[in-house]
Amino acid sequence: MDRFVSEPIHNPAHDEEAFQRADLVFYGVDHSGPSFEARVYFNQNAIDVSTPRDADTFAGSFTVFGHVGCTGDAGHCDVPTNPRDPFDRRPPHHLTPQTKTVIVTAALRRISDAELTISVIAIRPGPEVAEMVDALYFERFTLLTYS
Amino acid sequence: MSTGAVSPQQPVVPLRHRLNIDAMTAEQLAAFGEAMTAAMGISDERGYNYQAGIHGLPLPISCGIAHGQPIFLPWHRAYLYFFELTLRDLQSEISLPWWDWTTQAAIPDAYSEAQVGGQPNPLYSAEVDPIALAQGARAGDVKAPRTVRFPGQPGSPPLPTAADVEKVLALPGFLDFTHQLEQLHNNVHVWVGGDNGHMGDIPFAAFDPIFWAHHTMIDRVWRIWQLRHPSASVPAALLDEALPPFAMTVAQTLDANTLGYDYAVQSVGGPAGG
Repeated sequence: MDRFVSEPIHNPAHDEEAFQRADLVFYGVDHSGPSFEARVYFNQNAIDVSTPRDADTFAGSFTVFGHVGCTGDAGHCDVPTNPRDPFDRRPPHHLTPQTKTVIVTAALRRISDAELTISVIAIRPGPEVAEMVDALYFERFTLLTYS
Repeated sequence: MSTGAVSPQQPVVPLRHRLNIDAMTAEQLAAFGEAMTAAMGISDERGYNYQAGIHGLPLPISCGIAHGQPIFLPWHRAYLYFFELTLRDLQSEISLPWWDWTTQAAIPDAYSEAQVGGQPNPLYSAEVDPIALAQGARAGDVKAPRTVRFPGQPGSPPLPTAADVEKVLALPGFLDFTHQLEQLHNNVHVWVGGDNGHMGDIPFAAFDPIFWAHHTMIDRVWRIWQLRHPSASVPAALLDEALPPFAMTVAQTLDANTLGYDYAVQSVGGPAGG
């Protein structure tokens, strides 16, 4: 995917002001390509590379430290999808998708709206800031609050 | 700590101390540079290219399980430990320095000068294994034959601040701590590497000499966390996990003092008088 904008979700901060910590967890994050920073914003769908990190809507970021493509032979970078043999003691495949947890406690406390959208943009540094195209992939996200 | 022991059967011996790169004496820095230069001239498993290649390219050895996994810190502690030993075989008095990016948000001077004393500075750049370059190019990752950096380019994630590190150090659980520390670590890699610098991507990162100073800082933060949270540890289920290609388990990495080192800002001294 390119830029990600979620459907509106319920904002737990709207009715749960007492939470001590909030985590935005991205599951199944792909790291097979180049490195990039994924910047996350709350309730700001129109974002681009110039949207500041110090904006009130900035929730945090995670950085993918990437493998930059497949350097092996055919099949080397195919993550096995079959159920794992219980006697298989080998380490997991090197491109097994990762989980990224962004601590968003302070950012979530700034949002009082009943609904929340989550926007993510992938950025790679360079002489000129560039939005990464076709680099950001994850399977799902969850917003967790803890009392 | 100033002493350590591998086991109760072994004598207590002085530890070596890893130092802040900016606090090293000229002699300490020169000795470290000599060791790096010597390692860069060796083409077998004692050499720099072999050690750097463990992290990514050339295949088939790689650090496939060392990132985004709960053994991120133990794996890299083992990596530093074996790399430091190979350097100490070449220059017995050296220890790995760390780059404290929380106090110096720039490449340290020791790593910034292309030449030192009229000679190429081994901390500035390193030659990359040609086999690694060829394997990377096959995947479209074309890199320069010597390591380059593009620190702090527009769009870079910020270097971690002291406040960022303090927040991570305050996390009481190991898995939470390592996950958040790895994120700070990723930011530094991308900040240094920028657009196609070697530090910015896994396959070539360890060829850049500053990789080791960055990871020594990461290891130091883990050491500080261990001291602040003495009752917290790696989950028991991970302790017996191996850390390939190193002949070491997670449990064997937990105590830096049994690996013969600790961290100090400076180390100065002299012979006894009399």
